[in-house]
Amino acid sequence: MDIAQILINTLVRAAELSLLAIGLTMVFDILKFANFAHTDYAVLGALFAYVFNRILGLNLFLAIILAAFVTGCVGILIDQAIFKRLRNIGAKPVTLMITSMGTAIALRNLMRLIWSSHTKTYAIPLQKPFEILGARITPLQIGIIVVGLISMIAFHLLLHRTTFGKALRAISDNSDLASACAIDSEKMIKRMWFLASAYGVIGGSMIAMEHLLYPRLGFDIIIPVFCATILGGIGNPYGAMLGALTLAFAENTVLALDLGPIINFGGWFDVGSIQISTGYKPAISFMILIIVLLFKPTGILRKK
Amino acid sequence: MAVINFVIYLSTMIGIYSLLAMSLNFQVGITGLINFGQVAFFCIGAYTSSLLVVNAGIPVVVAFLAAMALSGVFGYIMSIPTKSLKSDYWAIATLASGEIVRLVALNEGWLTAGPFGVMGIPQILKDFISKDAYPVFYLLFVMACIIIVYFFLDKLTNSPFGRNLKAIRDEEELCLSLGKDTQKLKLQAMVVAGMVAGLAGAVFAFYIQFISPENFQPIETFLMWAMIIVGGRGNFMGAIAGAVVIQLFNVSTRFLGNYVPLGSDSMAALRMTIIGVLIILFLLYRPEGLIKEKKKVYD
Repeated sequence: MDIAQILINTLVRAAELSLLAIGLTMVFDILKFANFAHTDYAVLGALFAYVFNRILGLNLFLAIILAAFVTGCVGILIDQAIFKRLRNIGAKPVTLMITSMGTAIALRNLMRLIWSSHTKTYAIPLQKPFEILGARITPLQIGIIVVGLISMIAFHLLLHRTTFGKALRAISDNSDLASACAIDSEKMIKRMWFLASAYGVIGGSMIAMEHLLYPRLGFDIIIPVFCATILGGIGNPYGAMLGALTLAFAENTVLALDLGPIINFGGWFDVGSIQISTGYKPAISFMILIIVLLFKPTGILRKK
Repeated sequence: MAVINFVIYLSTMIGIYSLLAMSLNFQVGITGLINFGQVAFFCIGAYTSSLLVVNAGIPVVVAFLAAMALSGVFGYIMSIPTKSLKSDYWAIATLASGEIVRLVALNEGWLTAGPFGVMGIPQILKDFISKDAYPVFYLLFVMACIIIVYFFLDKLTNSPFGRNLKAIRDEEELCLSLGKDTQKLKLQAMVVAGMVAGLAGAVFAFYIQFISPENFQPIETFLMWAMIIVGGRGNFMGAIAGAVVIQLFNVSTRFLGNYVPLGSDSMAALRMTIIGVLIILFLLYRPEGLIKEKKKVYD
């Protein structure tokens, strides 16, 4: 595979992952717990989009926007029904994390019950790839990269140009001081859940568009999303984007690497060419996650 | 007869999961280590014991001990990052490590036969017990394992070592300030828990006589979690009670398929949805579980 192709695949994957990682990092930052149900919200939204697109016959773009809105509300509802109660009784973050795991199991299987385990596809016309510098890219992939970029810029503006963004950053910095300044944290938390879930849905739908959609998808992408989040440093949305980019690059290159010359070590062991089996593709993000956690748990970028 | 056989099967599976739940309880309920990769021990125990017997012809007793030893070593490896990681970061890493173990079992075909699984795992002491009495014999064997493990873990928990572990769970900084080597204690706890779950894996493999990576999906870990949340953490009776409740529900609802107009996949989904909701409800309204941990007060 040549470099242009690796670059394109990396950008597409990074656009998908970073939209998911942004939401995860926000929740982790403000509420101090790792939300294991985050990617399941995203898949729920992607399935909503599937319903709007396939059954109601809506334009795919509109279907995803509508699904993001609906799932944003679901995110708020789940928070009010479950996480808010736990916050109110002063539960430890660890309890919230375990509860989110329970939520993930319930949600994932509920989706399986409603939509069955079969894979689904959106109504997308067959994609004819362009050739750019000898690499192939489909119009869909260009769309994913563009939507990813626009979403990032929108997120940046939201965080720095709106009262909500400033309030959110204030809560993240010092929640006591924020509430002393008459910032209604519960209201901000509601909006944050909406934003986190809706962004997740856009990311999740893009993964579903490019690959396949099925209820278990949420579990299959949870580790890469966690990996991107932690790689970039928890609570740092720009870190999450950088983390997604780094992980996407690793996912696209590690399998193509020839480990032979490294193990040969100047002809000491003649093992020829060694490549990691493609069966281990999902393990790349697991390994990177564990390595990052071991050696640099604070991530690449420091918080703010 | 079919009913009796089913009850024996169900009891045996409850027994095996009791061992796993007790092991998870030792990590979560006693030491406060959030392990989302518990199925890795189960997988390692099952594969080690069955491969040693099937491929290398090693005596079963040695294979069981090796399974426990290797799972213990894996517990040791898993405990290393607890030194530098906060508990939630470690939990995320354990989820990944559980999947890595399954992927190794799936991809290293030369060792594990990959997706085909290990077949022809022999029955223990088959020559001495009649075919009809065998299920009862195996159930008794599992019961014996539970009793030994129960008293061992209970004794350990009430020893100074166990009190130190509970101190880590409740207040790690305090424990450190008293000069306890918390890292070493966590390591020892993980090794003990790994050995118990490895034993469960070996018992499981020699019971069903055929294992494949399909048996070690992450869903197994969540079932074990449901057991300790429903049953109650911090005491081993709770873990056993949870294993009974969850397995009874999990296995018995398989037969409702004949009466409910749902396919088997939908039934499985419904079952797991209910288990997920059960986890949430217990954490919200009865966080101590069915059997509450008795806290000793020292005057």
